[in-house]
Amino acid sequence: MIIFDELKKNDPQLRLIAIVIAVGLGILLAGLWWVQIVSTGKYQSHLETQAYRTVRLPAVRGKILDREGRVLAENSPRYDLSLYLDDLRKPFAAAYEQLLKQAREVQKQTIDARQKKLGHALTKAERKQFAFTTEELQQLRAQARWEVADNLVSKIGRKLGQPLPLDAKKFERAYETRLALPYPVLPDLDETQIARFEEQCYDDPGADLELQAMRVYPFGETAAHVLGYLRSDDSSAAGEDAFFSYRLPDYRGVEGIEGEFDSQLRGRAGEESVLVNNLGYRQSENILDPPEPGHNVVLTIDLDIQRAAEKSFVENQGPDARGAVVVMNVRTGDVLAMVSSPTFDPNDFAQKISEEKWQQIQKLTAEKNRATYENYAPGSIFKTVVSLAALENGLDPNEIYRVQPNPENPARGMIYVGKRAIKDTAPPGDYNFQRAFIHSSNSYFITNGLRAGIENIVRIGEKFHLGERTGILPGQETRGNFPTEKRVHSRDWHDGDTANVCIGQGEVAVTPIQMAVMVSAIANGGKVLWPRLVDRIEPQDPASGEATTNFPAGLVRDELGVHPRSLQIVRRAMLADVESNEGTGTAAAVNGMQICGKTGTAQVQDVKNQIIGWNYWFASFAPYENPKYAVVVMVESQSRGSGGTTCGPMVHDIYEEILKKENSPAPVFARAN
Amino acid sequence: MVDPSINERGNQLDRLQLFAVAGLMFLGAAFVFSATTASQASALPWFDQIWIRQIIWYAIGIGAGAALCLWDYHTLARWSLVIYWATILCLLAVLIPHIGSTHGWGARRWIDLGPFQFQPSEFAKLAFILAAANFLSRPPDELKQRGIFWKGIGLMMLPFALILKEPDLGSALVLLPTGVVMMFVAGTPKKYLLKLGAGVGILGALLLADVLFAPPALQIKMQDYQRQRLLVYFGASFAAANATPEQKAEARHLQFEKSYQVRQAMISVGSGGLTGAGWRQGSQTALGFLPAGAAHNDFIFSVIAEEEGFVGSLVVLTLYAVVLFTGLRIAGRARDRLGKLVVVGVVTLIFSHVFINIGMNIRIVPVTGIPLPLLSYGGSSVLCSLIALGLMQNVHIHRRGY
Repeated sequence: MIIFDELKKNDPQLRLIAIVIAVGLGILLAGLWWVQIVSTGKYQSHLETQAYRTVRLPAVRGKILDREGRVLAENSPRYDLSLYLDDLRKPFAAAYEQLLKQAREVQKQTIDARQKKLGHALTKAERKQFAFTTEELQQLRAQARWEVADNLVSKIGRKLGQPLPLDAKKFERAYETRLALPYPVLPDLDETQIARFEEQCYDDPGADLELQAMRVYPFGETAAHVLGYLRSDDSSAAGEDAFFSYRLPDYRGVEGIEGEFDSQLRGRAGEESVLVNNLGYRQSENILDPPEPGHNVVLTIDLDIQRAAEKSFVENQGPDARGAVVVMNVRTGDVLAMVSSPTFDPNDFAQKISEEKWQQIQKLTAEKNRATYENYAPGSIFKTVVSLAALENGLDPNEIYRVQPNPENPARGMIYVGKRAIKDTAPPGDYNFQRAFIHSSNSYFITNGLRAGIENIVRIGEKFHLGERTGILPGQETRGNFPTEKRVHSRDWHDGDTANVCIGQGEVAVTPIQMAVMVSAIANGGKVLWPRLVDRIEPQDPASGEATTNFPAGLVRDELGVHPRSLQIVRRAMLADVESNEGTGTAAAVNGMQICGKTGTAQVQDVKNQIIGWNYWFASFAPYENPKYAVVVMVESQSRGSGGTTCGPMVHDIYEEILKKENSPAPVFARAN
Repeated sequence: MVDPSINERGNQLDRLQLFAVAGLMFLGAAFVFSATTASQASALPWFDQIWIRQIIWYAIGIGAGAALCLWDYHTLARWSLVIYWATILCLLAVLIPHIGSTHGWGARRWIDLGPFQFQPSEFAKLAFILAAANFLSRPPDELKQRGIFWKGIGLMMLPFALILKEPDLGSALVLLPTGVVMMFVAGTPKKYLLKLGAGVGILGALLLADVLFAPPALQIKMQDYQRQRLLVYFGASFAAANATPEQKAEARHLQFEKSYQVRQAMISVGSGGLTGAGWRQGSQTALGFLPAGAAHNDFIFSVIAEEEGFVGSLVVLTLYAVVLFTGLRIAGRARDRLGKLVVVGVVTLIFSHVFINIGMNIRIVPVTGIPLPLLSYGGSSVLCSLIALGLMQNVHIHRRGY
């Protein structure tokens, strides 16, 4: 080969040159081998870091559906007007040239003026002080960009019939930090604006509509507490890639089902890589990892019953009244309706909620789910528990008990526990169990409660799992309050405390959902169920082949273990409370359905034992013969009323709706998709 | 490789070398095209497109090189001093503001001739080779005279100083090895060469020490960008030792900016890997990370290396090796010392360009604006390279018979 021929030359000088050249080329070859073969990975990753930006793409959030497939929460397209800065590069450059030309003119004039003043041409050093600094040039560039963008935006604003201000500082910051992404100008265009834009601005380079998914709750305030709401949050969920150059807006569920099942609803965010040039402008984009859509959550809620309950509550109590309604299937534990009042519109949270609306929500503590997240004294509805304890421990329902008159008000009864006198709303006279139950006689139940003993009441209460969470919305539920056996055996437990418990006051506090579970257990023959709010979680696209998670219905948490006869006695008494003329719950009665109920009124006292309000209760189930539904209504009130008169009409309305549904021909299983 | 019997027929060209040159020109056209049209189809008319212009320059260069072969190189050598002084005049003219053009860059290197500019420093290198060969081809005994030695040095230092003044450090520097190698081959006594080598070495070391370590007051005057290039190469901080933290931060930022080209060139070369991204698929030029003004020019090699990988680099190096070693073969067969010296000068010049240019792409050598012969875009460079190759072929045609 020629190289070796030359290296073997007998001309010593040429041989030396040949050696030097061979060595030189060898060095280059070794260097290139080192850079291109050995360290190529390093340089490839350099190339990627400088030329690619990764963008987090949020997944399409799953829907929330009612038990019949009606949509309670979904996504609707939203069009944002955005500037695509990469399309504006040429106008930016042109505007900069223009500005630079003007600046040069000014510069020339000042130099000329200076020269005139000095009377001689400026030296190089003197000229230098008039030269543009890098900062000044940068400023000119920024100004050029802003002018171009502002002109474009105001032009579009005129066409849309809406002035569009462009914040210079915000724009510059976006230019510096988010150049590869569109710059949002106007969020959520309405239909007219979209039409106008499409008609008149389609050929404006640099501006376009950007499609985004927006969370929509089509029924507004309906079931707001069950559904919960979203908050803007684009951070990476656990198990996701945590490093992105940019993140597109995303949301996180914070309350209700949106919060509880956030990870299933939100799906898995994907990743897009954007190829950028040396200035950071977008060149092309490529989806590396498509987002996986979230799953749909199908609730046990029945939209018709839910809306009927809400409507009835607002009609009877007004929108600002505090209270809760729970409707449950007594056999399956399915929650058919869960109302908490006052309520809010979760749509307000999808955009950033206005300060005014937030203040209003705060003032009313409207964000609190009163069906699960507040402790209430149960009042007389707790007498159902006391009844079971007494009946199980030897109370003869036919035994006559005489209520003594209250000396201060002879038309009403009273009872002494130790030295304390407890008023009885029942008039003095003879009472058997059923009569005492429907008159809700404090004297009767305190006497028989004391006779049965607090331990037995506690034992029954524990079977109902009072003082424990039902697990319906973890993190949004209180335990309530119920004395333990240890507590009732302690030395500072007195008969007065037992008497208080017997009438649902004192050391007992419950939530409406607990009461619904309790009533259901009485109705269904003693099965204490786990209430169920979610039927299943299923993929948005049934063809995707992803698994559906079913939550089994009718999971039994505990058996009451009481005699069926005792339950039957209580049920019959509850029927009488609604059906008989003497009953307190007659307002709930519905033609065509035998409703069983128990009303209650609990006093709310402040720390000084002053009465500051009442909780009115109505716990019910129906039909009597073959119980299927439990309805519990609770109203917090500052005014005089009663469980029957305050809550009864709502119970009535809800059963009317249930009856209507029962009697309507085959329900329409509309599956909204 | 080539059967010597073919060459014995006389008046033959060195075909192997011509093949290699043709290969380099093909690569040059292909990658100038790639580097200038990668981002988008150019809006320029076809005759204004850079790669077309490059091909036109190749054609002109081939014509000029071929025309040169019509005369015996002895005839050319007789005119060498005239040519030498003409280019010296051009180099002087470049320094005059209204004649020399800065081409938008900091240095004054071009003379504007209406539709095109020419770079006298490129021609000065050739003129120097011819003049030096003519001067050094005198009988070896005369070379032992001190006066002749210093005259030879003067012949080299005049264009060196003028090119340095432009300033074009790279072009000036390649004159030194060219001159020294020619002196060595001519038979200049070793002691002179050693002294020269030691002198240049010590001067270079002092200069470097001054740039890198001396306090500002003691530093020699130098263009900022030249000092920065040296500092970038040696990875030294721009900031003085006693600088405030802000100054240091600013210096670091400046350093990052100044090392931008080398860094991008290294990324281009390194990301090429074994086989590269493919012709016109390199992202570094398309996305503008490799400056658009330099990619088809001084950094053409990084475009080839990114798009064709190590394989491409190997092909380029092989083609140059063929050109250089066939050159040495021609030198060995030259009829006389004049021919040998001309060829050795050309070979050294081409080698210096190749080594410095490719070396700077992989950070073996500091960045100097010096073209890669036949590959880099540029009329003057292409023309001079082809004329230089014409000179070699001229010597080959008029070689001694066996």
